[in-house]
Amino acid sequence: MDDKMNIMIVDDEKIVRESLFHWFTKEGHTVERASSGFEALEKLEENPFELLFVDIKMPEMSGIELLEKVKTEYPDTIVIIITAYGSIETAVKAMKLGASDYLLKPFKPDYLSLVMEKITQQIKLESEYHYLKGRMEKITRFDNIIGQSPAMEKIFDLIPEVAQSDASILLVGETGTGKELVAKAIHAKSKQNYLPFIAINCGAVPDSLLESELFGHQKGAFTGATHSRKGFLEVVSGGTLFLDEVGEISTKMQIDLLRVLEEKKITRIGNSSSIDVDFRLISATRRDLEKEIGAGNFREDFFYRINVISIQIPPLRERKEDIPLITQHFLEKYSQETTKRVDHINRGTMDHLIRYNWPGNVRELENAIERAVVLSKSRTLEMEDFSFLREPSAALAHPMSLREMEKQHIQRVLEECGWNITRAAKLLDINRVTLHKKIKRFDMQRNA
Amino acid sequence: MDSRKRIIGVVPVGEVPELAPKVIAAHITGYLKLSAKVLNPLAHPAYAFDESRLQYNAGAIINFFESAPFNEYDKVIGVLNVDLFVPIFTHVFGEARQSGKYALVSLYRLAEGKQGGTSTSALLLERAAKVALHELGHLFNLFHCEDNKCLMHFSGNLEDLDHTPLYFCRYCSVYYKDAHSRT
Repeated sequence: MDDKMNIMIVDDEKIVRESLFHWFTKEGHTVERASSGFEALEKLEENPFELLFVDIKMPEMSGIELLEKVKTEYPDTIVIIITAYGSIETAVKAMKLGASDYLLKPFKPDYLSLVMEKITQQIKLESEYHYLKGRMEKITRFDNIIGQSPAMEKIFDLIPEVAQSDASILLVGETGTGKELVAKAIHAKSKQNYLPFIAINCGAVPDSLLESELFGHQKGAFTGATHSRKGFLEVVSGGTLFLDEVGEISTKMQIDLLRVLEEKKITRIGNSSSIDVDFRLISATRRDLEKEIGAGNFREDFFYRINVISIQIPPLRERKEDIPLITQHFLEKYSQETTKRVDHINRGTMDHLIRYNWPGNVRELENAIERAVVLSKSRTLEMEDFSFLREPSAALAHPMSLREMEKQHIQRVLEECGWNITRAAKLLDINRVTLHKKIKRFDMQRNA
Repeated sequence: MDSRKRIIGVVPVGEVPELAPKVIAAHITGYLKLSAKVLNPLAHPAYAFDESRLQYNAGAIINFFESAPFNEYDKVIGVLNVDLFVPIFTHVFGEARQSGKYALVSLYRLAEGKQGGTSTSALLLERAAKVALHELGHLFNLFHCEDNKCLMHFSGNLEDLDHTPLYFCRYCSVYYKDAHSRT
């Protein structure tokens, strides 16, 4: 047996302690012996034990009392009760109190061997569970969603709350803000976290294919359907379905999905019988769906069905205080991935990154850091490593006067500096008095 | 491994079929490459009889061996034809203390099964040899092995014992060699 354990034999009869001691020693385990419950508790304080064999009938403290104490103070320790005075009642009581098994002395050697096999399996499963739980915790600590801005803190607080309900959630945010990460975190924090999380980008799948992807099809349902296939709505089976870019799906598909959400039944394409389905829906969009409803592109009834809980994910430009933290995270990530020692970013460059508007949000920042790390020739990232970042020029979008352009530029710098006149003047390379004059001349006001 | 320095004593205890200790000694030499010698029989172990269980306490017999003069032997295996037990178990086929000097093999329950209890059948002798080699493995500090194709795999019943080979798996072979190089 590879899985060696720390075992303690607790029995007032020396002969039993010695027999079990010799037996487990032959199995390669580390074995301690205790002649009373009190001695066992003392030994437990000194060292951790994975497994205790406890005799029921002992003076002063019975095996049942010891079992109760062990299960309260060391809940991970497995206890097996052994006795020559067994009765069904005692066995039931021991099992109710958390004993893993119950042995009547004397037992067949292969029976003990079977019990040990079972315990080893139990320990293995528990350790796998703890490992996976740890990984899950890591995911649900939102390691990939980074931020300490009030807006993000609010989202972090919201995720575990909404995860506990089955209500449909709509995530609204610009492209690259991390909507899928939030959806995954909600799934990971939900009671269904061991069930599938299936993500579909509705904007990337043609409508005809989307129907087949979601509902599945029977063999021969359409040209090319050479075999029957389950749809995602069936496969997700109790888990979470994430419909990204839900604003892109056709109204016909919205009607179909609405019916699924109401009836919790689907019919595969080419089949007449319906199948029960069960899933939690999280949708995401970068569009203003209420506007789309007004324009007749999105169905109101479907909107209310998917929008029971709405979470707004702010664009990066509205949480600029998170940029240094996110930058550092990606810097570490790509330094490790590329095995290049690029672990610093100078202050001026960081200021530049903070000032930049990040229209592609966190995804754009991540790509920028990755590119800079790959191409950097030094340990510290400099301004020139980000020379590829170009603000989309307003002038290029539509021709405007020099005065209008100056006004817009000053307005943007002021907004970025939070209307801190000294900082804005420094960035614009003019003095504070000049800036005040320009603000007055252009009749500029702080945006709400 | 220098087998000349190591002599394993095989000692009949009480009334035992004459062939059994000889076969065990031959297996020790054949499989473990150790010298083995069949010793003069010891008396029936009446001192180890437990009246409440009507069985013989293996621990008591090993304790008796510890007080016996076996100085010229590195390890000693007692061969018996009585029903052995240790207090927690209903019975044992053999018994040894980990890294100890003395081990026991009982033929009593090895005759059951396929051969219908013929006292010295080839199968019984093979089973006895397996138990002896297994217990000897414990005396050389080998632990039970997970591999059911290894002599050190624990066999709690005759069916398992019959499926157990007479040789070690590759890991236990290494441990066995290690044990020799250390002592």
